[in-house]
Amino acid sequence: MDIELKGITKRFGSVIANDQINLQIKAGEVLGLLGENGAGKSTLMNILSGLYAPDEGKLLIDGIEVNFRGPGDSISAGIGMVHQHFMLVPIFSVAENVILGVEPVKTADYLDLSKARTLVNKISSEYGLSVPPDAIIEDLPVGIQQKVEIIKVLFREANVIIFDEPTAVLTPSEVEDFFSIVRALKASGKAIVFITHKLHEIKEIADRVTVLRHGRITGEGNPKRLTKEKLAEMMVGRQVAFTVNKIKSKIGQPVLKLKNIELHTKDNERVLKNINFSIKAGEIVGIAGIQGNGQTELIEVITGLRKNYTGEMFLGELDITRANARQRHVAGMAHIPEDRHKFGMVENFSITENIIINNYYEKRLSDFITINWIKARSAAALLCEEFDVRTPSVDLNGKSLSGGNQQKMVVARELGRKPKIVIAAQPTRGVDVGSIEYIHSRLVQSRDDGNGVLLISSELDEIISLSDRILVMYDGSIVAEFDNTDAKPKRNQIGLAMAGSTEEIYNEH
Amino acid sequence: MEIVKQTSLAIGFTLLCTASANAFTACQVTDVGGIDDASFNQTAWHGVENAIANRGIDGRFLESQSETDYAANLNALMDGSCDIIVTVGFLMGEATANAATANPNQKFSIVDFAYDPTIPNVLGQIFATDEAAFLAGYLAAGMTETGTIGTFGGLNIPPVTAFMNGLVYGVDYYNEQHGTSVSVLGWNTSSQEGLFTNNFDSLDDGRAFAQNLYDEGADIVMPVAGPVGLGSAALAAELGSDSLKIIGVDADLVATDPERADVYLTSVLKRMDSTVEAVINAAMDGSFEGGLTVGTLANNGVGIAPYHNFESAVPPELKAEIDAVRAGIIDGSISVGP
Amino acid sequence: MNTKSNFRKTTADLLMLRQGAYRDAIVLPIIAIATALLIGALIMTATGVDIYTIGRSFAALGHGAFGSINAISETFTAAIPLILAGLGIGLGFRAGLFNIGAEGQIIIGGLLAVIFSFTFSDLPTIVLVTFTLIVGSLAGAAYAGIAGVLRAVTGAHEVILTIMLNLISYRILDYALRQPFIQKDGRSDPISKSVPGNGQLPKLLDWIDPNLRLHVGIFIMVGAVILLWWLIKKSKMGFAIRTNGENSHAALYAGMNPKMVIIGSMALAGGLAGLAGAVQISGVLERASPGFSAGIGFDAIAVALLGRSHPIGILFAGILFGGLEAGGRQMQIDAGVSIDLISIIQALVVVFIAAPLIIRTITPWAFSKNKRTS
Repeated sequence: MDIELKGITKRFGSVIANDQINLQIKAGEVLGLLGENGAGKSTLMNILSGLYAPDEGKLLIDGIEVNFRGPGDSISAGIGMVHQHFMLVPIFSVAENVILGVEPVKTADYLDLSKARTLVNKISSEYGLSVPPDAIIEDLPVGIQQKVEIIKVLFREANVIIFDEPTAVLTPSEVEDFFSIVRALKASGKAIVFITHKLHEIKEIADRVTVLRHGRITGEGNPKRLTKEKLAEMMVGRQVAFTVNKIKSKIGQPVLKLKNIELHTKDNERVLKNINFSIKAGEIVGIAGIQGNGQTELIEVITGLRKNYTGEMFLGELDITRANARQRHVAGMAHIPEDRHKFGMVENFSITENIIINNYYEKRLSDFITINWIKARSAAALLCEEFDVRTPSVDLNGKSLSGGNQQKMVVARELGRKPKIVIAAQPTRGVDVGSIEYIHSRLVQSRDDGNGVLLISSELDEIISLSDRILVMYDGSIVAEFDNTDAKPKRNQIGLAMAGSTEEIYNEH
Repeated sequence: MEIVKQTSLAIGFTLLCTASANAFTACQVTDVGGIDDASFNQTAWHGVENAIANRGIDGRFLESQSETDYAANLNALMDGSCDIIVTVGFLMGEATANAATANPNQKFSIVDFAYDPTIPNVLGQIFATDEAAFLAGYLAAGMTETGTIGTFGGLNIPPVTAFMNGLVYGVDYYNEQHGTSVSVLGWNTSSQEGLFTNNFDSLDDGRAFAQNLYDEGADIVMPVAGPVGLGSAALAAELGSDSLKIIGVDADLVATDPERADVYLTSVLKRMDSTVEAVINAAMDGSFEGGLTVGTLANNGVGIAPYHNFESAVPPELKAEIDAVRAGIIDGSISVGP
Repeated sequence: MNTKSNFRKTTADLLMLRQGAYRDAIVLPIIAIATALLIGALIMTATGVDIYTIGRSFAALGHGAFGSINAISETFTAAIPLILAGLGIGLGFRAGLFNIGAEGQIIIGGLLAVIFSFTFSDLPTIVLVTFTLIVGSLAGAAYAGIAGVLRAVTGAHEVILTIMLNLISYRILDYALRQPFIQKDGRSDPISKSVPGNGQLPKLLDWIDPNLRLHVGIFIMVGAVILLWWLIKKSKMGFAIRTNGENSHAALYAGMNPKMVIIGSMALAGGLAGLAGAVQISGVLERASPGFSAGIGFDAIAVALLGRSHPIGILFAGILFGGLEAGGRQMQIDAGVSIDLISIIQALVVVFIAAPLIIRTITPWAFSKNKRTS
């Protein structure tokens, strides 16, 4: 099945989300759709899946014009969408989720689950998905849940499958797995649309690429022939530096030292096992690891959000083992939380309020018991200026900023105080390329100024390009350490350590 | 949209003719039971209604939803449009006294409260309900099969406990005359303590209290708590009047609660309707005087209702004895007391 | 156009609203009230009230609420405790707490206030009244603090806790009013001794007409509105409270102490409700009796919702509810319409405020501009 979009335009009030978009989706081909957040990718795909009607333009399926009145029309036309956030019922089984909405029934209202099970198994084996039909969704890892979403789409006999940022939630090995599934789908004649902002994925999997920026198509072609730099330029509209410029820094005294840190959960599960490391002034230490191997707990222990650990911790010479979050903060620790929406900011607060959220009590921002809003606003405005937070006013809600500007706001707050040690957790997650570049340069600058930086990221590329030293976490322990200054370690060695294979690696070191 | 137009028209029309005819106006402020409590508020309002029918006056009422409304409600009536204000209930005593002192030209009458000393512009109406309840107690003692009678009140205040005292004394008198040992649960005349719901509006309480008394063996229950008693009657209707009978208070409940007419053995009447109507008439005729009026068996201010459905069930001898007791109370040969 | 948007901007600044909040804070409540009145009219029609009486009753509602000095006095007298307790509940909302316990806090505050007042009746007026109000607030704060501490320490939900504390407070009141040193002499029903004359909040307008009940509590109420506005907008504590309410995770990550915020804002809310009880006792009721709280604590929840947890909003919402109460009385007198209808209108206002989508759906034109994109 082929789909053609001709001159699609969609406006929201005065904003043009899609402007004269022409697109061809062909059977047996992977079309990469590249663009930053807000470039109009999601709007375009929502038009394809029948959620929005275009203001102008035509939608042709196999040469015949169609009008979708709702998502139902799109599904019955054979278009399936795998969303970034899965639409699964966590307490239902795989089979139940797959048949949700199109339940096969025998007589009356008797749900025919055995038929569903058979169909799930059949689809699984056809595309090498290997999903147990009776497993409960909430017990399954994210990678498998995504496969359930794919089975759901195939169950509805889709010929065109749209993936919206499918790799954002996957570990490196799951990404490999996912790509092989995409290849199998392609081989069976499905048309695939692959939405992403990650350039190397486009180069690896897409047969054709279309780049969107500000609602317009800014480039098209064969990704194998286009360089990463060229693709990035189409996407961002200017040249982008991929390598972080780092000069060798002066390593100083340790600024953060962890000794024999152990943490048990309420169920007495040992989530941090004998963690020992230190971060010296002037170095970036990266912690690599697949999500869920204790990184979150480690961050919470270091920043004082968890109290019930054992071991010792020093910030410089200061024993901070029993200090609470604010005391550590005052002592010179900055924390860029891993999820800005949940932990790092308050969406309904103004930018000023967000910027003073953890230092409003300082003398420079407050009087006896009141906050000095005049000083707070000017401090916020100064930081926005310094850290390139683009906003017409610091009185606007944090919600009104783009993801990149929100993250820069968090970074401004944390680095603006000249901390001694920066804990940066997933500092560029869900952020556009321009902002990634900027945040990276600020982290490096902080290191060059003689501070310690602890970088925790699920993006291995980010770890490798920024860190001076790399620690690998697996199952609550630090299982490997790599020097990343002169002798660049190989990706696959780190990958092996992330998967828990510890031999060989220490030989290297 | 049509309704908006009509409403605004109506508002305009209203503004043109707010001033209605300057007829004599009687206003009533109810206690929390509400105007349709099938009990004392309703009975008192019935008096106003009678005056409306007989003398062509205007009548208005204001319902109190809580005790905090008393003063506010009285206040709302202080614009001079009421020729007499009737407040219903002992609990309104203080609020009425305050309003009457502050507005000496406004005529008031309060049901169930006697001021000492009296206030010149307030006529208190109190009732010797113990006399009538004495008859009901005598009747109940003669009718009970289990030898146990129950009672409970809304609040431990004189207008309520007068019923309960009368009931117990009536039962005692029956025991004295017949050598029986019928007992009353829920009220102790010597300690003046007993069973109270502490409200005048929860039908659930009425049901629960009656259930407790029934479980303790009572087959006749007299609830003295306004509409709360309707809950007790509902229980009796379910159990059947062979198992549990109710003695109503204030009004003849067979008339105000006809659906459950067959559970009411009788009702202890407190003829507020006639006293309220009399007060209104006095105010209209210019003979209104502050002070106190007492309703008794002798002046028909209190009494017991006809037996209605139990007409044939009550033995003729018992009826005759009750008539004799009534005469005895009126002529003073029988004293209502311990 | 320009003046209009300037007006909006000034109003919005005054009420410290952010962009877009103008409609939510001002247009929405007005439409909600109008719709509630309209539906009230429909309900009256459905129950067989003729159109003339409906018009008459709405005229009476307006007249009884704001049409005379007596009406205004009654409206504000009713509004004072509603606003005080509503401020506390609104503060709880700001902290992310749903405090259903204002009723119980009013009872405990009022009870302790009346006990203090008749016990220390020898004190001079100014001292006695001041301390009566302080005792009432502290009692309310302590009572709400129980819920706050339990919430912070055990994580038990404050809705359940405060509902249970309400039920307990009713029984405490019943019990206390029967104790010989509290119960009024010569009475066998549960009613407290009276507040002595020098313990009463002075009436403000009795020189015009002795029936005007408005008392100096109105200044206390206005002071509380200003204090809360300052607390929420200016103070460090208010900032911590707001952060906790908007995003408790972010508050934790910012190094605030959510447990202290919960306990503190609960106690503060209880203090305001207790103050409402004490003001009601020493300004209006002069004694405690069962049910003296009269559901003020629950109406105050509606007031806080209607006022969108904003002190100025709560001030106006409280005046509106006070007006509905005073006007409702006039409706009964003039048109013989049941007081229950007023309760229905109040409930409808709350429904429409709490569910703004309904209003947005039935009056889309009032909200059509500035539609959000993406």
